Amino acid sequence: MVHVEGLTKLYGEFTAVNDLSFSIQPGEVVGLVGPNGAGKTTTLRCLAGIIPPSRGTIRVAGHDLKTDALAAKRQLAFLTDEPRLFDYLTVWQHLNFVARIYQVADYEKIGATLLEELELAGKRDALPGELSRGMKQKLVIACGLLHSPKVIYFDEPLTGLDPYGIRKMKDSILKRAHDGAAIIISSHLLHLVQEICSRLLILKNGRKIADGTLAEVTRQFSGQTGDASLEEIFFRATTDAGTPPPPPPVLPAARP
Amino acid sequence: MIAALFYLQVQSTRNRLVTRFKRLKQPKYLIGAVAGGLYFYWYFYRYLFGGNGSGVTLNGTIPPEYLPLVESAGALLLLIIVVFAWLIPGDRAALTFTEAEVAFLFPAPVTRRNLVHFKLIRSQLRIFFTVLLLTLFTRRFGGNAWIHALGWWLILSTLSLHFLGASFTRTLLLDRGISNGRRRLVVFALVAGLVAVVWLWVRRTLPAPTTADTADFKAFADYAQQVLNTGPALYLLYPFHLLARPFLAPDATAFLMVIGPALLLLVLHYIWVAGSDVAFEEASLEASQKLAVRLAAVRSGNWQAAGKTLKPKRAWFKLTPAGPAAVALLWKNLIGVGRIFTPRLWIFVAVILVACFAGFGGSTHAQGLSTIVVMMIGLVLGYSLLLGPQLLRADFRNDLPMADVLKTFPLRGWQIALGEILAPVAVLASCQWLLLLFGFAVVIFMPVKQEPLVVAIGISAACLLPVLDFLLLLIPNAAVLLFPAWVQTGKEASRGIEATGQRLIMAIGQLLALVVALVPAALVFLAVYFPLKMAFGPIVPVPFAALAASLVVAAEAALGVILLGSFFERFDVTEETTR
Repeated sequence: MVHVEGLTKLYGEFTAVNDLSFSIQPGEVVGLVGPNGAGKTTTLRCLAGIIPPSRGTIRVAGHDLKTDALAAKRQLAFLTDEPRLFDYLTVWQHLNFVARIYQVADYEKIGATLLEELELAGKRDALPGELSRGMKQKLVIACGLLHSPKVIYFDEPLTGLDPYGIRKMKDSILKRAHDGAAIIISSHLLHLVQEICSRLLILKNGRKIADGTLAEVTRQFSGQTGDASLEEIFFRATTDAGTPPPPPPVLPAARP
Repeated sequence: MIAALFYLQVQSTRNRLVTRFKRLKQPKYLIGAVAGGLYFYWYFYRYLFGGNGSGVTLNGTIPPEYLPLVESAGALLLLIIVVFAWLIPGDRAALTFTEAEVAFLFPAPVTRRNLVHFKLIRSQLRIFFTVLLLTLFTRRFGGNAWIHALGWWLILSTLSLHFLGASFTRTLLLDRGISNGRRRLVVFALVAGLVAVVWLWVRRTLPAPTTADTADFKAFADYAQQVLNTGPALYLLYPFHLLARPFLAPDATAFLMVIGPALLLLVLHYIWVAGSDVAFEEASLEASQKLAVRLAAVRSGNWQAAGKTLKPKRAWFKLTPAGPAAVALLWKNLIGVGRIFTPRLWIFVAVILVACFAGFGGSTHAQGLSTIVVMMIGLVLGYSLLLGPQLLRADFRNDLPMADVLKTFPLRGWQIALGEILAPVAVLASCQWLLLLFGFAVVIFMPVKQEPLVVAIGISAACLLPVLDFLLLLIPNAAVLLFPAWVQTGKEASRGIEATGQRLIMAIGQLLALVVALVPAALVFLAVYFPLKMAFGPIVPVPFAALAASLVVAAEAALGVILLGSFFERFDVTEETTR
């Protein structure tokens, strides 16, 4: 569903993403992890067609993002960590607007269901300024899912959500994957990645340093034992050679 | 403790200035700074300490016999400002702090009085800059720069303290159960009473103004001087006279003679403010949060959210899910603009029309008056071409911070460009057509000089204005995509001489681009006009030539949209913008 070949993004002499290649099949949930500045967001922005890659090809649902951008963009949704909404459009007007952009004929039915599912039904006529951060995030999700995309990119999807929202979001991601969507989740929340991702893609300094299922990546970085946690794997994979990973936190002894 | 607050202010200012100087390493800021510097030098600085451009002093341009009147007018203006400070605001005292200042200073062991002093130190910085600008401006008309600067500083500092003191008093009154409504009623009654006293005194002691008193400026000035400089008005305005006098002093000796009472007023205000013990923290906390929201809105480009509390607005039309996708952007931006053509507006227009016709209809000067109305409409239409594209910014200039969202839409660049630009064009052209309709109504129902020519020009304007609007709006939109750091996005303009220079260069560039774009249309206009003129005379060909010219402009606009679309497709969302 998503096929990336030799993706490179340069900013002047700085290489943000370096020769990245991978593929994602329908139903797969890929966790994109890496330290700050690894190139995760730049990668997602290139995959969403927001910024053009300096080199390489990206195919989304069979369409080349460079030569057939419109067909590719119709199949994807990019949900950012920071809710980007139009301040003067109400919740329902956002859905109305997105429906016209993506030509969603039955948007009223789908939109109502999404608002119900995301517990925003009572906020139809509210402006973003009247919504909490979590609600804004939910509205972005509703807008992104309105046209039933086949490819969904999430950049820190749990930011601002309460425990109920987090649970619903996880369920929603897994449901979309079950329905055949290809999903990439960029997150620093390793427990989220561990919980719902079927594959892991670790970036460091713009380069891919690991790509495989959790078990495969664990084997790659834990000396064949397969007993390390994802956090431990992350530190081993992303810490420079010769630099020891940060020690685990030491909890104070419980008072008698 | 005050030393720490002073350190905070000084270091913040220093770092801000250092940042500004450091960014001059970038050519765009350096070029802007040079252009801005030249502009300020040419228009203001060269008059500051040397001779002035006109060769006359302020007091030289105002005859000495009018100086008391000017002083009284200034005092009256200050009185009005002060009255408004007591009449209009309804909020509790809220010293505006940033969120960082609230976080650091409010929980810290800093007394309320020290916080007030911190606020006063900071307000002085703002006042110094305002004084500099005002002095640069007023110095152009002559006078001594130092006297002007000190005069402005006294006026602005005293007013600033007065506003603060008034807000403290307002809060004290609210704490004692005296509502804003009651306070306003008392202030209004007091002001009305004082105005009544002055009016009664004028009626009893001064002869009623005759037509001779309003016949020329001198007679009018003499009468006004009598009203303001004698009787109760003089006593009422006395403190304000004290404040205005230093600014109007003709020389250093006169200045030294009048500075004492003005300084005393300032000191009394300081004692009033520093001595007030009003709980302002809660209101300040709320104000700082509002400020943070406003800044965040501005920085994200949503300046509508920055100005006031937004309310949901109805769409101008129903947006169906099928049809050209670019219309969705028009629909969205029109909601952002808000509904202009409301029933209230139509009623207003109808009332104006009826009033005009009723007023002019029976007048012996009907033709002259209606001609003036038509000329004024022409003038407003001309200004709308100049100002409209600057004021109506519901296009890329507002949406640029959302460029990453727009780029994910499955639309071609030209579709997004068209959708973005349509809303301001639609609004501006609708307003212009409304004015034209008004003008046509005047022409139809009233006698107008050179009626056929007026009608021909009106029809031509109806053809040309929408496409000209389109062209005029394309230029700043192209500029914002090509030079995002040079064009203001959102409401908050970037500051400094370099930003002024950047804006100046952009304005000149836009003007040049417009002139170049209009050359082909002008040539076509002439090519159509002159042959037709030989056959039909000078008036009939005007609309036809205008129609041909508007087709040329429309073709240019269409090409412009395609070009704008390609600019947007190539626009890198990681580019720096003015924020």
